[in-house]
Order: sequence, then structure tokens, then C-alpha cells
Amino acid sequence: MLRYLRLHRIFISQYLKRLMEYKTDFLLGAIGLLIAQALGVLFLNIIFSAIPALEGYTFEEVLFIYGFSLIPKSLDHLFFDNLWMVGYSIIRKGDFDKYLTRPINSLYYVIVERFCVDAFGEMLTCVLLLIYSVPKLSLPFYWYTIPLLLVVIVFATMIYTSLKIITSAISFWTKASGHITHMLYMTNDFAKYPVTIYNKAVQAVITYVIPFAFTAYFPASYFLTGRDPLFCIGGTVVAGTALFLLAVFVWNRGLKAYESAGS
Amino acid sequence: MENMIYVENLRKEFKKIIKEPGLKGSFKALFKPHREIVTAVDGISFEVRKGEILGFIGPNGAGKSTVIKMLTGILTPTSGVCRINGKIPQDDRKNYVREIGVVFGQRTQLWWDLALRETYAVLKEIYEVPDDRYHQRMAFLNEVLELDSFITSPVRTLSLGQRMRADIAASLLHSPKVLFLDEPTIGLDVVVKENIRSAIRKINEEEGTTVILTTHDLSDIELLCERIVMIDKGRKVFDGGLSKLKGEFGQMRTFSFELQNAEDIRKLGYHDHFKLSDDDLSLSVSGKSVSVKFNTDKVKVEDIISYTLSSVHIKDMEIRDVEIEEIIKRLYKREVSV
Repeated sequence: MLRYLRLHRIFISQYLKRLMEYKTDFLLGAIGLLIAQALGVLFLNIIFSAIPALEGYTFEEVLFIYGFSLIPKSLDHLFFDNLWMVGYSIIRKGDFDKYLTRPINSLYYVIVERFCVDAFGEMLTCVLLLIYSVPKLSLPFYWYTIPLLLVVIVFATMIYTSLKIITSAISFWTKASGHITHMLYMTNDFAKYPVTIYNKAVQAVITYVIPFAFTAYFPASYFLTGRDPLFCIGGTVVAGTALFLLAVFVWNRGLKAYESAGS
Repeated sequence: MENMIYVENLRKEFKKIIKEPGLKGSFKALFKPHREIVTAVDGISFEVRKGEILGFIGPNGAGKSTVIKMLTGILTPTSGVCRINGKIPQDDRKNYVREIGVVFGQRTQLWWDLALRETYAVLKEIYEVPDDRYHQRMAFLNEVLELDSFITSPVRTLSLGQRMRADIAASLLHSPKVLFLDEPTIGLDVVVKENIRSAIRKINEEEGTTVILTTHDLSDIELLCERIVMIDKGRKVFDGGLSKLKGEFGQMRTFSFELQNAEDIRKLGYHDHFKLSDDDLSLSVSGKSVSVKFNTDKVKVEDIISYTLSSVHIKDMEIRDVEIEEIIKRLYKREVSV
């Protein structure tokens, strides 16, 4: 475990060195990112100024849920972004061979190889939204609120990452699955708003099938109201654990089906 | 001597979707796929002794890479067994790969965007090589593969020859017991090839590393390998030393000589005189030099010589054994069966 953390640090530093290697690209990328995020915040402002309240949620509460949804999303984006490449090209081109000739877990290796600094944009938006909304809400606060928050963040991130692992692993059989990952990933947009605004079918899907509701709305509503911790927090833990176990299972089955590419 | 590698009845099948040509065919295959099973490796068995350099050859598409990928734990065999140093690669891949080094000549394993030494620093961590061992090892690899002049350059700026040396060094950093080299001399010039061959020989001699080498360059085989395994269409067609190969298939000899008068060539009619086809006798002429390649099963050496001497005046003459390349070319073309 310690060895893996140490390796993770090394991979991140390698990645940062790589970014610095191409200075112009790095600078332009950083500027582009800032512009994109500023526009994103501006756009949110427009939406929320048109809809001050939703289904009994105040403007600040909606902002809080939206901001909360970005915590696991940006963490997953920051640390586990390379999974996209698995479905789009790594397996199809046979580049996965490289990960299999090293004495480390292949899933771990492929995940830590890239570190996605783009995620800092989402983090910035997230922090701005929370800084704006939290002081205006009277959130219930106990001694266990912070530890509980940390637990929720870990398991909510696991929901994101596990879904990406499962959909990427499909390409061990189909050679490419990037679009499947993309399709599934896009449904996370539903999780940014209170699920009660959707019809029953959509609610059921994002709660029980692709449980993105547990990455944002349910835990956030617990922190807003202090109600129903068993379902809101427990649900996140259960969904995160179950999906992660499924992800590891699918991945390991996929490894056996890996066919490489001709050379 | 004990066996390092033990392969028995190894098979690998791939499912393949057969498509009719064009966009229309692709659409059709999307809805009504026509699946076919392709056997890439069809029951191969062989053994490799500890410290041996084995040449693993065969024409393109014979299944060489597929075998190497099963031996290195990348692919899972459909059936059959491979055991390397007593371990089955697929059983405990993570521990198994600590004992092997792998180089795929067509694909680098170096960190493309960073200085070469960064790659070694990361590999040191991945393989948990202790500091003192690492320095010692780097000094050795430096000496053998001459990495010094480019170790601080980003990998993307290296020439192919430098990159290949760097890749081989990367595969040896953790002192593997077995080294798999898949076309390590592909696309390299003669000098670099020689450099890489001597490095392989040195590592094999000094550390007793078992080496499996696939190549299309038969000089690699002649200069490095005591033994070759040849496969074709997923099956083994030859297993043995070079001398055995020559003994079994080396009925061909080459008789070369120089004519005193270039026009005399018209006086020589080997095919008609001996009634042989092109397969059993072939002639190549450039100016005054002539070489006749013939099958000693069909015609005796002395008959060829006496016919030549009685027909024309010659200067130099020489009789050579067939080159390994010629035998292998014939095997690939399936002119010789085993």
C-alpha cells in the first residue's frame, strides 16, 4: 500500500515534469482553462438568476448541491482521468501491453499514469459555489459532520471512478468503448440538481441503476437538513463499495480477454 | 542443465469478425456478424535451457509475437502450459514479471516526453531496486550499451538506434533471469546492430541471462543463437541447432568462379546438361563472375566442377556451404518440409 502511494507521487511528479517540458502548450492550456471556467461560472449565474428557486429549494440550496456535486467529480477527474484513454485508444492500439509487463497492478498503473490538471478548473468553480452558498445557509453542524463529509467524498468519488473502470474494461472485449464511457458519464449532469425536479423514471435510474444521485443530491441534502443519514450517507457508501467491487471483477475478467494488437 | 522455459502444447485462438469489403460490408457485419475462429498458435511445445540464447523465427504472421506475449503474461493462452523458472505467467503476473525483461522493438517502453534518465528513475521505483544496486547496474549498462551521450536527452529526440539501446537497458535494470527480445534490431544500421548483438552476448555471458530473440535478420541468429525454433502458421516446423539445420536442409552448395572471357558464359548450359529445374540449380552472373547454386542430392559437386572446367577457362574458384538465409528462405516458401 505504502509502495503504491509512493509510486503515485512519483507518477504525478513525472506527469508535471512532462507538462513543463512543453511550456507554450502548458501556458496556453492554463489560460484556456481559466477562460472556460470563468465562462462556466458566468453561465451558472445566468441560469440561477432566471430560476431563483426550484421545487422548494432556495437559490443557495441549489447552489450548494451543484457545488457539492463537483467535489467527487473533480477529484475523479484529477486523479483517474487516464481511464478515458483505455476505452478510446490504449487497448485498441495494443498499448496496454506495457502495463502488463510491470510488477504492479495494471488497473492502478493505468490510472496513476496521468494526472489531469484540467480538473483544477472544476475545483475552482466548486470552491466558489460553496464559499458563496454555505455562509448563507444554516447547515446543521455536529462533531461528526466533517469526518462524515470526508467519508462521503471518498465513496462518491469511487462511484465515478468505478463506472469509468467498468465502461473502459468493456473494451477488453469490444476493443473500443470510449463512447460508452462518455454516454454514461454524461448522465452525471442529472446529479447536479435536486433529483425531485425529475420524473420518477429518471429518479429511479440515477438512484438505483447509475447511482449518480448518491454522488451529490442525497449526501448534499443530508448536509443541508441532517435528515435521513442512513439512506443518504449509507446509500453512498453501499453504492460506492458495490460498484468498486464490480469494477475490479469486470476488469480482471477483461484482462483474460485482452488480445493485444499485431506487431 | 535445468530448463528455464517449458512450453507444452500452447494454443491461442482469436475470434475474428469477417467483413465484406467497403462501408456496406461494415454495416452488415454490425448487424449480422460472421464470426470465425482464427488459430494463431496451434499447439507449440519447446524448452529452453538456463543461459541459452534461443532464436525464435518464422515469417510474418507465423505467431511469434503471440507466443512471446503468452510467455510474458500479456495474453492468456486458450489452452496448454507455459512455465518460466517454475512459474506460470498468468497465475501471479505481478511477481512473475519481476523475473523477466521485455523489449518490443516496434514499441518503446520509455517515457516519451522526458529525459531518458527519468525513465530509469521510475523503473527503479517500480522494480524496487535498492540505491547501491541501481548505481552499479546503471554503470554496467552504460558500459555495455553506451548510454552516456544521450541519457539527459528527452526520449522523443533519440535516434532509433539510441532508443533501442535505451529500451534494452530499461528491460535489464532489474537484472531479469529471462530476457525477451522481440525484433530488437529492426530498422537499425549495421553498426548499431553489431553494438546491440555484442551487448546481448555480453549480458548472456556475464549474467547467465536466458534470452529469447525473435528477428527477421538472420545474421542475428547466426551470430547469437546456439539453437533456433522456427514456427509457421502457428506450428513448430524446426527445433535444433544451426548445424542441424544445415545438415538437414543444407544439400545446397554454391560454386563460384571467374571466367577468363565474359562471353564464355554462353558455352555453359547446366540445366540442359544435367536436366535440372530452377529449384535444384540456379545461376547468377555479373560480368565475369558466375555462381552456380545446386542441390547435392541431384548432382555431385565433382560433376559440376568437371563440366565447368571442360567447357570454359576459369580463374578463381570457390565452393561454399549454403547460407542459413537460403535454407530459411526455402523453409518459409515451404519448399522443404520437416
